[in-house]
Order: sequence, then C-alpha cells, then structure tokens
Amino acid sequence: MTADPILSVAGAVGGYGGADILHGIDLTVGRREIVGVIGPNGAGKSTVLKAIFGLIRLRQGSIRFEDQDIAGWPPNRIVRCGIGYVPQVDNVFREMTVQENLEMGAFLRREGLEAALERVYVLFPDLVEKRRKPAGSLSGGQRQMVAFGRALMLDPQLLLLDEPTAGLSPRYCEQIFQIIRDVRAAGVAVLLVEQHAKQALAFSDRAYVLASGRNRAEGSGADLLADREIAQMFLGG
Amino acid sequence: MDLLSFLNFYLVPGIVLGSIYALGAIGITLVFGVLRFAHLAHGDMATMGAFLVLALVAGTGMNPWLALPFAMIATAGIAVGLHWLFYEHLRRRSAILTVIASLGVALMLRAIVQVVWGVDSLTYVGGIVRPESYFGIRIKDREFWTLAATVVLVVALMLFLGYTRWGKAMRAMSDNPDLAQLSGIDTRLTTILTWTIIGLLGAAAGFFLGINTELKSLMGWYMLLPMFAAAILGGVGRVEGAVLGGMIIGIAEECSVIFLPSEYKSALAFAVLLIMLALRPTGLLRGKVL
Amino acid sequence: MEWLGLLNYAVFMAIFIGIYAILALGLNIQWGLTGLFNAGIAGFFAVGAYTSAILTGPAVEGRLGGFELPVAVGWIGAMVMAGLIAWPIGKITLRFRSDYLAVATIGVAEIIRLVAKSEDWLTNSARGLNNLPRPFGDLDYLFSQLAYLGLVLFCLALVYLLVEHQFRSPWGRMMRAIRDNETAAASLGKDIAFRRLQAFLFGACLMGLGGALLAHFNRSITPEGIDPMITTFLIWIMLILGGSGNNRGAILGAAVVWIIWSMTEFATDQLPTEMAIQAKYIRAFLIGLMLQLVLRFRPEGLLPEDPTRAGRKTGGGGS
Ligand SMILES: Nc1ncnc2c1ncn2[C@@H]1O[C@H](COP(=O)(O)OP(=O)(O)O)[C@@H](O)[C@H]1O
Ligand SMILES: [Mg+2]
Repeated sequence: MTADPILSVAGAVGGYGGADILHGIDLTVGRREIVGVIGPNGAGKSTVLKAIFGLIRLRQGSIRFEDQDIAGWPPNRIVRCGIGYVPQVDNVFREMTVQENLEMGAFLRREGLEAALERVYVLFPDLVEKRRKPAGSLSGGQRQMVAFGRALMLDPQLLLLDEPTAGLSPRYCEQIFQIIRDVRAAGVAVLLVEQHAKQALAFSDRAYVLASGRNRAEGSGADLLADREIAQMFLGG
Repeated sequence: MDLLSFLNFYLVPGIVLGSIYALGAIGITLVFGVLRFAHLAHGDMATMGAFLVLALVAGTGMNPWLALPFAMIATAGIAVGLHWLFYEHLRRRSAILTVIASLGVALMLRAIVQVVWGVDSLTYVGGIVRPESYFGIRIKDREFWTLAATVVLVVALMLFLGYTRWGKAMRAMSDNPDLAQLSGIDTRLTTILTWTIIGLLGAAAGFFLGINTELKSLMGWYMLLPMFAAAILGGVGRVEGAVLGGMIIGIAEECSVIFLPSEYKSALAFAVLLIMLALRPTGLLRGKVL
Repeated sequence: MEWLGLLNYAVFMAIFIGIYAILALGLNIQWGLTGLFNAGIAGFFAVGAYTSAILTGPAVEGRLGGFELPVAVGWIGAMVMAGLIAWPIGKITLRFRSDYLAVATIGVAEIIRLVAKSEDWLTNSARGLNNLPRPFGDLDYLFSQLAYLGLVLFCLALVYLLVEHQFRSPWGRMMRAIRDNETAAASLGKDIAFRRLQAFLFGACLMGLGGALLAHFNRSITPEGIDPMITTFLIWIMLILGGSGNNRGAILGAAVVWIIWSMTEFATDQLPTEMAIQAKYIRAFLIGLMLQLVLRFRPEGLLPEDPTRAGRKTGGGGS
C-alpha cells in the first residue's frame, strides 16, 4: 500500500461485454513509483490498463486518479487529466511520420508543441533522423519508442505501459528500461505490465501478480522474486 | 482512327469524366477510410448537390459556377445532418447496419429530388457550347473549368490532410481509430469534419457531372459503381488512389465504347471492381481492406 | 357482389405476401443468420423470373428460349440460375466485410437490369417476356387465383420448413457464431468464407424462386416490373421490421409491410394525376424513412430472434 497514491483501483470487476474478465482487482501506484504487473497470459493485465484508461467500462469498483473518480470517463478526458497509455499492440499510426505520431500525442496541446517534441527527441535520440519516415516502416523497437514518445507528449503524471519490451532485442529492452527510469526521474509514475517477469520484478519498486482476473500477490520486487511459490508459477522455476 | 481524334473523342472526355469520378471516389474513400463503412448514399448526395446548384440558378439567375460554392456548403450541411440523424446512433452497433441505413438514405435523397425536380433531364443553361481548339485538341470551356476546379479541390484537400492539425487528425483516425481516440483526438468532431468534406466534394462531383452532361434524378446513383470501383482500384483510404482510380475508370469507360455497347459502360466499372477484389483487394496504392 | 371483390383482393394480396415471404426468408438466411448485406435482391429475383420465363415460355423467332418446359422445371432452373449468378460474386467478396458484398450486389442488380432492358434476343428488352404458362391458369378467375395461392403457400411452407431446419441445425449454429463473433470465427479461417458462400447461395436460390413465382403469376416479366431499389428495399424492411434472424418474423414482416405498402398505393391512387406521379416518389421516401425508424427504435423487429438460440439482442450483422 502506498501512503499518498496517485492512482488507486479498488474492487475492479468487468470485462468486454460478455463474462467478466476482472473479478475484483485492487492496486495502487504512488507518486514517482514504478509498479509492475505480472501474471500469465490471459490473466487480465491488459484489461486492467484498458479499464483504467476508460476503454472498457467496469461493472463495479472505483478508479481514483489524483482526487477524482475517473471510472466511466471517456479516454479523451482521461488523457487530458494526465494519464498516458501505450497499448500492447497497434500503438503507432503506421502511415503517419514519426513526427506526426508525436504531434497526434499532443493533439490536446494548444502551445508548447515544439518544446514537447524537443523533450521527446532528447529521450529518444534514435527517432530524430527518422522523424520524416512513416512509423510503419520502423523496426519494432523504434516503433515502441514512437509509441512511448507519443504518450509522453502531454507530460502525463502517470504512464500505463503494456509490455513495452515484448519481442524486442536485449539492446532495445535495456534502452526502454533506461527510458522508464529517466521518465520516473522526471517525476512520472509508471504502471508497467511485463512479460519478462524477472526483469520486471527486479526493476519495479513494487509489483502485483495477477492470475485469472484476481490479485494473487503483491510486494516489493525483491520480495516477490524471492518467493518460491511465485517463482514456480510465473518465473519458470 | 488518328491520334487527334482519339484525343478529342475519347481521351478528353475520359479525363473530364475521370475527374468527376475522382472527386466522387475521394468521398467514398474518406468514409471507407476514416469512418469505416461503405457509404451507399454518396451518389445521391452528389445528385442533391447538383440539383441545389440548379435551384440557385433558377431562383436567382446566377451563374452556375458561382452557385457551386453555396451548393457545396449546403450539401456539406446535409451530409452532417444525415450523419446525426441516421448514422451516428448506429456506430456503437454493427458497422454494416450503417451501410444498410445509407442505402435507405440513398432512396430518401433520390425521392426528394424526384418529388421536387421531377424525373426528366434538365440542364443548367440552354444552348449548344462549341469547343475551343488548342493545337487541334478541342476542349469546351466547361470541361476546362471542371479540370481546373478538380485540381484546385484535390490540391487543397491534400494540403489540408498533410499539413493541418485537423487534417492530420482525420488521417490518424483513418490509420488507427482506437489509438486516435486514446491520443485525445476528438473523434466526434473529426467525424463531423469528415462528413463536411465529403459533402463539399460530393456536391462538386455532382455539379460537374450535371454541367458536362445533364441533370437526372438517378445521375448520382449510376455513378456509385464507378466511384466505388475507383476507390477500390486506387486503394481504400487513399486520396491519391481515389484520384488515380477515378481517372483510370473515367478514361476506360469513355474508351470502352469502342468495343462495348454504350449502355454497358457501367459494366466496365463493375468488372474492375470484381477483378481488383479478386486479385489485389488493397488496390494499386496499398489501401485498407475492411 | 361486394364480398366477392373483397375476396378476390384478399387472395391477390395473399399471393403477393406469400411470394415476398419467400424472398424475405431468403434474405433471412443471408442477413438474419449470416450477417451478409445483399443490396441487390432485385437482381436475383429478376434472374429467377427471366430464367423460368425462358425455360417455360412460348417460342418466338429470333429469341432464346421457348422451350415450353414444365413450370416446375422452370422454377428449379430459376433457383439454379440465381445461385450460379451469386456464386462468383460471393466467391470474390465474402472474404471481406459485407460492405464489399453490398457494393457488388448493387452492381449485379444493375447489370441484370441493363441486360433485361437491352437484350432483345434474351429478354425482349422493354416489352419483356409474355404469355407465360400459369399453373391452374385455365380455371375460372377466382379458382385460378385460389389454386395459385395454394401453390404459393405450399412453396412457402416447404421453404419455411427447410430454412427453419437449417437454422436449428449445427450448420445454423455455426453460421450464427460466425455472425456474432468475427474474431472467434476467424479461427475457422478459410472455412468462414465457404460457409458464408453456402448461406449466400441458399438465399439467392430462394430469391430466384420468388421471382419465378411472381413471373408466372403475372404471366409476364418486364424490366418495368422490377424496380431494383424498391423491390430490394421492401424485402429489407420486411425482414428487419419482422425480426431478422426469426423466420416467423420474416413472414410476419412480409405481411405487414406489403399491406402497408398496398394501402399507401390505394391512398395515392385517389390523388389527381399530377400529384399521383409525385406520390410515387413520396412513397419511396417513406419506405426509406421507415427503414431508418425501425433501425433506430425497433432494431430487433416485431418478433426478435430467439435469444436462447442466439445470444444477441440486435439482429444480424458482421463485426
Ligand atoms: N477485446 C476482447 N474481447 C473479449 N475478450 C477479450 C478481449 N481482449 C482480451 N479478452 C480476454 O480477456 C482475458 C484477459 O486478456 P488480457 O487482459 O489481454 O490478458 P493479458 O494478461 O495477457 O494481457 C483473456 O481471456 C482474453 O481472451
Ligand atoms: Mg496483454
């Protein structure tokens, strides 16, 4: 538990219209905290992020961000209030250039576009020379950076990342993790869903383990890593 | 047949028809791309635009070319109205229901034209227009202006889509609607904007068809097949594809009378449509496939 | 004899309702069960009508046909031919979302209309094919009508039982699953396009039969007789208003819509001639509007699809 959470989800129940996928999920994210979410495939990790971002409606439960109950808000309102989201798949505009992708991330921004672009290009120097290329033509890692950069364009307080390193080479993984640290250093809290459980646990301040739409365990990354049962279930021994 | 008569009898009319189809196909491709459904009322919306010009000409005696911008704006209003009344409430349900609704809208628009203006052929201005000859190539004034206006409209649209904030928002929505929404793009406004553009261009296409041939209540409906063929030929969602496809279909239709009875002109567009869907559904310029 | 006139009229109406009910059942397989948008019903209808007319009609110099085959052969031919026309269209477009099918079927209907209008050797152009044999046509007027009605109802009953059987079969359940969940259905892969093709052909055959029934009832078929938009539209409204996915709904819809449609014709016939022409288009406008109203306020129709068999609240439609 966190003393003064920026985000707190309590008793989240819901799904995609059919049967419930989430059966009462609780989680909190503190300021400047990196919180990991791990669990087997189909556990509902992505679904939790979608629920927070207003892409699916919960049947029960609350989602508080800062001092507001944001459950049921539409995504464009949630973006405005300071949450950025990088979906797991289809997270760039393939036919638009890198720069246009970033501009779309700042669609709600009336001023300071240049400065925001500059900040993102400083974080992702690789993107500078690709700025006129369509995002669809980039490699997986670069595309992930575009998606990441797009979500940062509005200077969010909280970033939701859905498996940002899936399918990336170790070089890119390391780079992405480094950027997450940089982002946190700049004062942003991060809720990170990860496949690479070991890496994620080692990297996060705290983490949750989900299975079948329920909380299975939570604790500091190091504690969870040390836990035998969890190690057996999710970490391959 | 020598080259010059080929140019005069087939190519020039083909390019004129092609530019009309191009403007129409842009509308089709925008709905297909940004809003993701086949808009079957597009032809009848063009008819409506053409007849609104006629109403202005008849009512005020103004030059049809001057009346065009007003009719375009009015048609844009109609397009947005149709969206509000008949399409928007279906968006949360299956997309194909919107296609069905649009067929109903096609019937309604056509019926309105038939009630108000009847079913006989009409023209904007009487009399016979003689073509001017440029180095042996004969082109009528109205053909020249049709081409010029098409170029202006297409270039303006390309600039809008390529360089303005809302134009980029339209492209973003066409590219990835979910991501557009969660990037904070106001997809409702973008949709309305898209309908506005569709109405503007649709009215222009209808007017150009009307001034180069004649006005009939079914003129737009008969354009539907070539417009769809052009949009799919060029690649769904691609404005430049729609222009290319429109030109190809227009020229091919005019040339087809060399070997095909003229009443089967529209069979050509249909054949192109089926061949493209069978062999290369993404079209020439790699568009979307729904 | 007032009541005799009424009876005649009622029988006449019932024949039309029966024929339209068969068409609506055909559409119910395509749309209600499978979610396919056929916007060219009139085309398949016309193919059936002309095919049967050519197979069974009298011989005429310089024109194909005049085989004077039995009417039953004509009807079977009508179904086969409608299916044959549907086959390539479905083959090409059913891999995609139904939008493409809609456009392609509009195209087919349009080409068929052109052929009907302009090919002397095949369809006798605008004059159409006439003097077709009519089963029980030699009886007195009322008996002849009643006998034809019996025949239509017999066909309708057969079609209803066949369609209802298909709806309940494992095939029907699979089609519904494909319709309701495109993503889950995608795991069936190539099979989906094939299943959809089956449904599309099945529906098209029934539309061909409907066309043949009407042609022999009228003893003639002309291009005028098939206004593509109006015919196609009436059948759509019949199905959606009746209840897509529900076969009894389709039949009920056919009856309700045909009665309303005929009443409006009755009403507009009273108008002076200048207005009568406009009234025709006003009626067209009203059926367009009616479709919108049904889609908006009663999308599930009068008799909704049985939820225990279907799992979905608002009639047909792919993704
Ligand atoms: N769009 C969707 N519609 C219906 N069910 C979905 C959808 N997306 C995911 N699911 C289901 O929800 C469950 C959880 O999925 P998800 O949250 O994506 O898991 P993961 O933990 O791997 O990210 C899975 O059983 C999946 O099949
Ligand atoms: Mg996931």
